[in-house]
Amino acid sequence: MQKPPSEEAPDQLTVTPPKKWATGVPAVAHALEYSLEETSPQRAGVTLLTMNQVDGIDCPGCAWADPAPGHRHRNEYCENGAKHINDEATTRRITADFFRTHSVTDLAQRSDQWLNQQGRLTEPMVKRPGSDHYEPISWHDALGLFATELRGLDSPDEAVFYTSGRVSNEAAFILQLFARAFGTNNLPDCSNLCHESSGFALHETLGTGKGTVSLEDLHHADLIFVVGQNPGSNHPRQLSALEQAKRNGARIIAVNPLPEAGLLRFKNPQKPRGVIGRGVQIADRFLHIKIGGDLALFQGLNRLLLEAEDARPGTVLDQDFIRSSTAGFEEFAQYARSVAWEDIVSATGLTREKIESIRDEVLRSDRVIVCWAMGVTQHKHGVPTVREIVNFLLLRGNVGRAGTGACPVRGHSNVQGDRTMGIWEQMPDTFLDALKEEFGFDPPRAHGLDSVNSIRAMREGRIKVFLGVAGNFVRAAPDSDVTEEAMRRCRLTAHISTKLNRSHTVCGETALILPTLGRTEVDIQATGEQFVTVEDSMSEVHLSRGRLKPASRLLLSEVAILCRLADRTLQGRPAIPWDQFEADYGAIRDRISRIVVGLHDFNRRVVRPGGIRLPNPVNEGAFHTAAGKALFTRNDWQAPRAPEGHLLLQTLRSHDQWNTVPYTTNDRYRGIHGSRRVVLVNPDDITDLGLAERQRVDLVSVWSDGTERRAPGFEVVPYPSARGCAAAYYPETNVLVPLDSVADISNQPTSKGLVVRLEPAGTAAGDGARP
Amino acid sequence: MSTIEETTEIAVPVRTAYNQWTQFEVFPRFMSAVRSVEQVRPAVTHWVVGAGPLRHEFRTEIVEQRPDAYVAWRSLDGRHRGEVTFHATAPERTSVTVRIRTERPGPVNLLVGATGLPGRLVRSELAHFKEYIEGQGEESGAWRGRIRGGHVQPPHPHPPKRRVPHWPVG
Repeated sequence: MQKPPSEEAPDQLTVTPPKKWATGVPAVAHALEYSLEETSPQRAGVTLLTMNQVDGIDCPGCAWADPAPGHRHRNEYCENGAKHINDEATTRRITADFFRTHSVTDLAQRSDQWLNQQGRLTEPMVKRPGSDHYEPISWHDALGLFATELRGLDSPDEAVFYTSGRVSNEAAFILQLFARAFGTNNLPDCSNLCHESSGFALHETLGTGKGTVSLEDLHHADLIFVVGQNPGSNHPRQLSALEQAKRNGARIIAVNPLPEAGLLRFKNPQKPRGVIGRGVQIADRFLHIKIGGDLALFQGLNRLLLEAEDARPGTVLDQDFIRSSTAGFEEFAQYARSVAWEDIVSATGLTREKIESIRDEVLRSDRVIVCWAMGVTQHKHGVPTVREIVNFLLLRGNVGRAGTGACPVRGHSNVQGDRTMGIWEQMPDTFLDALKEEFGFDPPRAHGLDSVNSIRAMREGRIKVFLGVAGNFVRAAPDSDVTEEAMRRCRLTAHISTKLNRSHTVCGETALILPTLGRTEVDIQATGEQFVTVEDSMSEVHLSRGRLKPASRLLLSEVAILCRLADRTLQGRPAIPWDQFEADYGAIRDRISRIVVGLHDFNRRVVRPGGIRLPNPVNEGAFHTAAGKALFTRNDWQAPRAPEGHLLLQTLRSHDQWNTVPYTTNDRYRGIHGSRRVVLVNPDDITDLGLAERQRVDLVSVWSDGTERRAPGFEVVPYPSARGCAAAYYPETNVLVPLDSVADISNQPTSKGLVVRLEPAGTAAGDGARP
Repeated sequence: MSTIEETTEIAVPVRTAYNQWTQFEVFPRFMSAVRSVEQVRPAVTHWVVGAGPLRHEFRTEIVEQRPDAYVAWRSLDGRHRGEVTFHATAPERTSVTVRIRTERPGPVNLLVGATGLPGRLVRSELAHFKEYIEGQGEESGAWRGRIRGGHVQPPHPHPPKRRVPHWPVG
């Protein structure tokens, strides 16, 4: 067993120039280095060689689609996927002794990295009221305690059930079934925090909540926009698709406040040319846009396209498509023509000439795809921004054709599948009716709580029980201090987890740790070995089968824990065969096949190589919107502005980080080593603000409620960020995101575009650096 | 660039001949060089063709499709495109013309093209189609939608039942 570090390493920042290319041999070396620190060569070999293979382990690292069977590499994973999967396959173990040594108070002082490094959780633990220590508890007693709390609530709506995107389709389906049979729609999920704005905007305008492109569409596009996204660190396998597109002649436009290495050049380690050559230039054009300027950019482009059509009627817009398949064009066009150039230039930080040159790229391209991620969605105007991207695509018929479409790039591996399974607080009556018919109970119809509203309700004492299935809720959520205080008001907090994280240290009166099998591990139930299924970002549903021996004999699968909890809580009312579901996941899939349209004949079809590709109605010419057509929309906007002496801040991941879990304090591509408490600022802004390079500052966010939110002790690092725009890592900066600062319509926290000031730190270095 | 054009007369109504042509996944049953076809979407098909040990995979986009009249496609790698026209010469007879144009021939295509093999192949596959549909007498299925400029116009403007989950996905 590899030993975890017992003490935290002190921060020691060194800064090197940002890299101008991503991946290559160093990525392979780092992946192997981290893997072998965590686990044995044999286990690393098993995980890596079965990852993303047909009948293998689906990498929980991201939701990027796999190539078709027969076209996959022997090593079909990326550096961060390898690190992530071996972080789970680690041979380090947390036992009861660990919790005897470390009180909850002690653990709450530790960094996210240290908590993660302690290894896998191995047995159920309880923290009882008044105690500061977790202690062992049997599964029977743990689930009994949990069920008693749930049964004792005045209303089922006093419980919330949070899901993170690691959860399989089967466990997600069981969780929502249990919550609804119990009587609540309180099903917040991590989608609420990442792509909720995409879902709402796409659903409204195209009639589907999902992206419309496949890997092959990317391969055959002429022009690809990569907006508000850092594929080099967060979806490295996307770089392979972009590389292939480039080899087929595509051009790529990257839009980002930071010139990320992965956007500039890619050395594919699977190819000799990527090992010894210079690699492939990814972005032909880089738009160094201001934070939150994407809506203005696309509106400017749309205005230019409308004017180009005026100049040469019938040659620019796809009039046939607009007439036959869309609605709302006139109102949209009238508004888009009225937007002032000075506003667009001011919001984007780009010149009109530059935007015109992008228009020319668009006019030369028959097939256009727009990819985006959190740089677009985590804004107050996230939904209108995605809607404006849809306007842009519709104008030239770049939706529903091969090589075209909308591509929201999702993070967590099954975040899309969990929604397909009904993890949403506002599920439509059609789904609830199907549940009623299948299981013979009447699901609650009133909408439940999403993530932000769950925190509000906990803060007000309206929630007594919180269950987190996977994830690290308190570190993923905004306004860390408010969220933690809200969690502590619960009577019971429980987490179904593979590894320790800060959420376990922010306890209700009673707290439970329910340790579970990881995606990498063999899952044996009464009817034999089981597999689970997941849905990737491109709507392909396929299986994932663990290969490793479980981290502990005491672990239960997520499905087993949820089925037993449901059984103990509901006690046969309504009559649902939870024990059969635990014994045979195929029985769950049979039920899913009768409830979720598109997954008919689920068990038979999902075992075929490559699994099931859910059809996208947009690609079949069907728009399930209110008008029955694709919708143009009018999107008013106000650019986020920082007053004098302030900057706009975006929170982001480092390269050595997976969601809320930092693996190291390094961020290789950005040249940051040895510390995560850095704020990246344009050198001219450093001068203007009267600050100095490497000066220690507190980040203080400004919000209308007048509350001062402070993240102390950050070093100022000059970085080629757009003027007026700074960047710092989350979850350390989540404390700056006000709970009530949410995206219009989607209620998604605005983790980008925060107004902050940088105050010289009042005390010595190192203060407030934990967690 | 080279163009192959072949025409055949089939003893079935135009609707029958056209409908059968929309059933791409069935083509391997009667076309000797077609190993498999996957209808990825109404406008996108994935083909595996070959003879003996040789195999070639490509994806095509149908750019225009009008029931009982016309189907035009192009390969997504841009190497070739084609069209097929249907017209009734009598109530029970249909003339079917296939035109295939090679846009960016590689050296192998040029070599093979010089032998006249592609023309003979298209002629024989068209004969296989004729033999199949005349023998069956009725089509094995039909897709009656239209495609214009690569955009699908479904056969029923408002599909009565949603085929996939349609709620927002965050």
